[in-house]
Amino acid sequence: MKQNTFYILAGIVGLIEVGLFYLSVQLSNPMLITVGFIAAVLLLYAAQRLITDRRVDERSALINQKAGMATFMVFWVIIFATSLGSAVIGLGAPSFPHPPTPKGELGVSNASIGVPDSIMGATHAARDIPDHGMIRLGYFGYMQLALLFLMFFSYVGFRVYYARKYGEWETDEE
Amino acid sequence: MSDSGYIMPVSTGSGKQMKNKIKVFRAMHDLTQEALANELGVTRQTVLAIEKGKYDPSLELAFKIARYFGVSIDEIFIYE
Repeated sequence: MKQNTFYILAGIVGLIEVGLFYLSVQLSNPMLITVGFIAAVLLLYAAQRLITDRRVDERSALINQKAGMATFMVFWVIIFATSLGSAVIGLGAPSFPHPPTPKGELGVSNASIGVPDSIMGATHAARDIPDHGMIRLGYFGYMQLALLFLMFFSYVGFRVYYARKYGEWETDEE
Repeated sequence: MSDSGYIMPVSTGSGKQMKNKIKVFRAMHDLTQEALANELGVTRQTVLAIEKGKYDPSLELAFKIARYFGVSIDEIFIYE
């Protein structure tokens, strides 16, 4: 397989993943995108081993290694900082039970579960909301995705920086 | 040394730097960068980066270069 064929394949797989994500949201089935994403990564990993015209030498390996290490250094600091912030939110949440409502239902404020009142009413009975923990987990997923995108763009940035440093785009006077 | 068997180029911070005469030897053997890169199993950009002093090759690659030209390493690479 040629390198360009691999890039086309990666693009097609990416589009399929977007479709799977949409379908997963529509069907409210998180397993669909989870399994689909893992399958896509395995497929691309297998496909990249079949590339015949790619030459990775010690300089390009060094560039990848340096960019990866720099990304990791930035990423662990950001992950640590956001995790500490999340822990503070978790520790600051009230742990006492809500007072019972007349019909024995729990009066739950939407703000307390992170859902704006404009989307739902001011308060809802617990039975109206599927699972508070799952909703919070969903919002946490947004943050994780943002961090992963940050990681990806950081890697690209560091890759460009080290590629320039080690003469990737030097002009040839031959 | 890394798992891939090459030594990372390290800046000594002493103001000294590695210089090389690859371009001279290449000219003597009438070789293009592409041809030398193919012989050494690296990319043309790597040969170019070494010639310009942007990248210090691993010990393994330095030996390959020296053996290809039939000279010792210190005839090609100078630490000054």
